[in-house]
Amino acid sequence: MNVRNEENLKGLFEKFFNSEQAERAAEDIRKGERILSEHPAPEPDGELIADMKVEIAEAVIRRKADAFRRTAYKAVAVAAAFIILAVISVKLFEKSGGEPERIVTASIMPRAIWESEDIATDDADLAILTAEIEQIEGEALALRLDENGGNGNSAVTELEIELAEINNDFWKG
Amino acid sequence: MNTAKSDNLARIIIGCKGGVPECFSQLVDIYASRCYGYFYRLTGDNDVSDDLLSELFVKLVGKIGSYKGGSFESWLFKVASNVFHDYLRDKQRRKKLLEAEKRRLESKTTEIKQPDSEMVDKLQMQLGKLDADTRELIMLRFYSQASFKEIAKMRSEPIGTTLSKLHRGLKRLRELME
Repeated sequence: MNVRNEENLKGLFEKFFNSEQAERAAEDIRKGERILSEHPAPEPDGELIADMKVEIAEAVIRRKADAFRRTAYKAVAVAAAFIILAVISVKLFEKSGGEPERIVTASIMPRAIWESEDIATDDADLAILTAEIEQIEGEALALRLDENGGNGNSAVTELEIELAEINNDFWKG
Repeated sequence: MNTAKSDNLARIIIGCKGGVPECFSQLVDIYASRCYGYFYRLTGDNDVSDDLLSELFVKLVGKIGSYKGGSFESWLFKVASNVFHDYLRDKQRRKKLLEAEKRRLESKTTEIKQPDSEMVDKLQMQLGKLDADTRELIMLRFYSQASFKEIAKMRSEPIGTTLSKLHRGLKRLRELME
């Protein structure tokens, strides 16, 4: 072994010993390592080296195949996730009737009142509406207090019919 | 290591990382002899050294990606040291199994194969007289050609400890060889 790292052995030992001791320690190391150089270990067999190279080449191929398989599995998993996501999206779209839900808004006041320019008539209509609402409120209160002789069912039905009529009238304007 | 050699090694390592079998073959050509010497001096057994050397280089195929620069020799011999310690653990486990089996059967003792002393050179015999840690340190230093600083780092110990252990070990080995 003739290639040695360029290393200042004495300098290293001088961190722990005095100069003379450091020189001696460095010399001990050099002499010891010379013994190792003078008694070389056996060399590996040529056949072993050749077998190793074949084994390494096989290991490299195996590793590449494994890496390819891992990539393929990942790609399949990602593709499957996309497909599942797409299927779920389509199902949800179909369930909602194929069209996005429309939000219907309506004004609480009949359009005729807003569009009319006859303020006096509109005021009268509003007064009638207010009166009818107040009447219904009174009836509802009476029902709650059971003031109509305990015939709650028919009173409720009447009230419902009345409400329906008012509603119709209201929206017709 | 001069610049040309260093550049060539860097090129080989890049090839290995890219999975080029020829580059691994070049690594084998450069380092097989030193790694074999390291294993042989630690085990004293040619067959075991053959196995460990093969294991080391096949392991490099999977491990080369973890080499992130710095001294390649230090990294390589750190892997080699791990391979050797795995072997020791496995040997210890097998020894325990063998002893358990021996007790169970209460039969004749099965001798664990010892290296043939006639085949072992003088240095190998004297190395066997050193404690395992010192022997490993001497071999690591000699075959990896790493600096004391690198070896101390590999062994996770202060440089003073490494220096002192190696100094004592080599001095003792010299005495044994005289």
